[in-house]
Amino acid sequence: MEAASVSIPVEHDDHHHGPPEANRSSRVDPQLLGMLLFIISEVMLFAAFFTAYFFLRVVNHDAWPAKGTSLPIPVAGTNAAILLSSSLTMHWALTSAKGGNRRGMKTGLLMTFLLGMTFLTVQINEYVHIGFAPHDTAQGSIFYGLTGLHGAHVFIGLTLLLFANVRAFRGHFSPEAHRGVEIPGIYWHFVDIMWVVVYSTVYLL
Amino acid sequence: MSTAVLQHPPPTTPQRRPLAAKLKAPGWYRVLWTTPLGFGLCYGLVTGIRAVSGYTPVLSGKAITTTSLIGVPFAFLIGLGAFDYWFYWAAGRRTRPEDHSGHGAHSWRDYFRVNTDHKVIGIQYVVNSFFFFLVGGLLAELMRAELASPGAQFMSANSFNELFSVHASLLIFLFIIPVFAGLANFVLPLMIGAPDMAFPRLNALSFWLLPIAGIMMVASFLAPGGAFSTGWTAYAPLSTNVPLGQTFFTIAVQFAGASSIATALNFLVTIITMRAPGMSFFRMPLLVWANFSTSLLVVIATPFIAASQFLVLLDRALGFHFFDAGSGGNVVMYQHIFWFYSHPAVYIMMLPGFGIVSEVLSVKARKPIFGYRMMAFSLLAIVVLGFTVWAHHMFTSGMQAWIRIPMMITTAIIAVPTGIKIFSWLATLWRGILRVDTPMLFVYGFLTMFTLGGISGVMLAMIPIDIHVSGTYFIVAHIHYVLFGGSLFTIFAGVYYWFPKMTGRMYDETLGKLHFWLTFIGFNLTFGPMHILGLQGMPRRVADYASKFAGLNLFISIAAFALGLSTFVFLYNVISSWRGGPRAGANPWRALTLEWQVSSPPPVFNFDTIPTVVGGPYEYGVQDAVHGIFQPAVSAGGGSGGSGGAAGVGGGGDGPAGTAHGPARE
Repeated sequence: MEAASVSIPVEHDDHHHGPPEANRSSRVDPQLLGMLLFIISEVMLFAAFFTAYFFLRVVNHDAWPAKGTSLPIPVAGTNAAILLSSSLTMHWALTSAKGGNRRGMKTGLLMTFLLGMTFLTVQINEYVHIGFAPHDTAQGSIFYGLTGLHGAHVFIGLTLLLFANVRAFRGHFSPEAHRGVEIPGIYWHFVDIMWVVVYSTVYLL
Repeated sequence: MSTAVLQHPPPTTPQRRPLAAKLKAPGWYRVLWTTPLGFGLCYGLVTGIRAVSGYTPVLSGKAITTTSLIGVPFAFLIGLGAFDYWFYWAAGRRTRPEDHSGHGAHSWRDYFRVNTDHKVIGIQYVVNSFFFFLVGGLLAELMRAELASPGAQFMSANSFNELFSVHASLLIFLFIIPVFAGLANFVLPLMIGAPDMAFPRLNALSFWLLPIAGIMMVASFLAPGGAFSTGWTAYAPLSTNVPLGQTFFTIAVQFAGASSIATALNFLVTIITMRAPGMSFFRMPLLVWANFSTSLLVVIATPFIAASQFLVLLDRALGFHFFDAGSGGNVVMYQHIFWFYSHPAVYIMMLPGFGIVSEVLSVKARKPIFGYRMMAFSLLAIVVLGFTVWAHHMFTSGMQAWIRIPMMITTAIIAVPTGIKIFSWLATLWRGILRVDTPMLFVYGFLTMFTLGGISGVMLAMIPIDIHVSGTYFIVAHIHYVLFGGSLFTIFAGVYYWFPKMTGRMYDETLGKLHFWLTFIGFNLTFGPMHILGLQGMPRRVADYASKFAGLNLFISIAAFALGLSTFVFLYNVISSWRGGPRAGANPWRALTLEWQVSSPPPVFNFDTIPTVVGGPYEYGVQDAVHGIFQPAVSAGGGSGGSGGAAGVGGGGDGPAGTAHGPARE
């Protein structure tokens, strides 16, 4: 009979109250990998919304934007610049956290948060003044659908950044332990890159 | 043979705590006030916004219900304590150090808590799934009662639509997909030598999203206008124009989908980062491979059904026009988005079953699995090809006709990796020393029935046949041959196979075999004739039918009742064995994989020390074959280095001939 396993009689330590340390079979950090996989699924979520957009433009050959409406390209472009610059401050915060520069980390996190808030405010203001509603036309639905989906992701990112800010200002994070800055940062960069895609397709294309 | 069962810490005796403390601590007492509070907030929010914006009427039951369906589950989860740790973390407060009190279950009550132990969560998943399996099955029996003879028996045509819609949705989203996740949740960390999943709290959250989704789907029967009645496919624009019950489906799918994605992330990260030393990818059991592939599918595809239901929800609740052709929307777009998820979803519902079959078959045939690498590669091939075939569900939808040709070809091609697997299993059986017990019988049932379902699938890939039988009972027969004869048979095989491991008890073999034969025969008598009905043109999803189909339908209904009764044999067997079956040994099947090398049920933390893997998982019948060894206690302090010492103590623990003798780590 094949041996199922060779077991060694082990003196069991009855006071062994924790789980054994898991073997690390990959150099990738589990949290980082989890966030990257989550971002993949987020990208697919956007892809599904983009399907609606491309169906309208490629299959239906409808006008974009709908006749009689226009999109505020410069405003949204400025907003893109705001959001992209927040990626820089985010990176600064992470570099500072790694280098032990607490003040830089806190300032960077706070600035990122405020720039993100500015983006959302401008976006909402744009909605108010844009002159069409989601229930007017399919173009309106798709415009609000895509930008709104992105806005929701900005909101999620801001929530994560808020947590990071709270923790940073309450004295957490160190050059050794800065995952709480790094992981929201990755998500934030994803949100920024996604805006470049949304802006180029919805506003420019 | 096993690591010693850890002495369970004495169960925290339910001391009489003051009510205020109970209401504050995570648990059902807190649920009692957070859930109504959540509803109150939703009510206030919606009504407030409507009042401020000047909508009339200010009180809208539809709007309040829609918002509450989203908000109340979160209030429930907060009350139950699914988010406590994260709230502490986010607020920058000291998180409570993990005292592992959430590990293990000491009484049945622990299964109703937020528990972070993957074994407890696995059982929660499986039991929850089987609950909804029974509900879904009951709905099917009601349908068969209605269809027993032509004309209306005891329900309206719309009630019939509700029945098949809820039946399919429950069995797909609340049974097949999560029960596989549940079995894997229990078994997979043990198989790869990990103490738990990578993200135990996320794991607990993913479980608790499921009963919410299930209850929501069932509760839709109480909605004004009845339950959702658009099928599990919920095609727009039908789904954007039916009564409120549809919203229950739309939102329930979001919860089930979120659960699915979170679990898939967890599996992927666990498999990639937490394998035992020496367990290279090509030493992983095929169940692990299968769940790896499935999780990839889930992460990539499931967002599409989430999106499709978001779009429907926006159309329904806020008057968007994604699917309103009159305003420039596109209805075929819904089907594209939906099937871009839902075709991969049929593999999400099948690949974990392939994994189970590989485990059971190899152990019960006492032979190495035939073509291990090709088995793994064909799983990955199915993952890739699974994304290229979605529009074969839409041959009659009015999409561009030319798309049908490439879809027909890819659909035929995807039968190739599936065929590789079937033939590899047959080759594994070849000259094996077969032990035909209940799990193996279900594997046989799977091999035969799934092959039949696969063949009718290839038939359906052919455009002319598909157009002929589209929307008939042929489709019903096909999907039940792959999902019942395929997936469900593997689920039963898996449940019987790991029953001793999960419960520490042995099931009754005679009853198990009786269950198999009743199910196998009842299944074929029920769904076999549907092929004929379909070819003759009987439309599916209709409460009434032409009188020429009466004979076969009565036959099918009687068979369906018998099939339903067979489930009671299973239930009796499982429940009575769990309560008082004979104790199971650590390794009743003499299996090599790691989950059988610990006691049954496994110790609270799975392993005292992480085992070291020194060979392939299926070397049955190979002289001196060893898959994993446990390190001596002396190196336990050193953690999990898996270095030289481990191999030396094996005493003939060298890997078997033919196994790659790679270094312990890649």
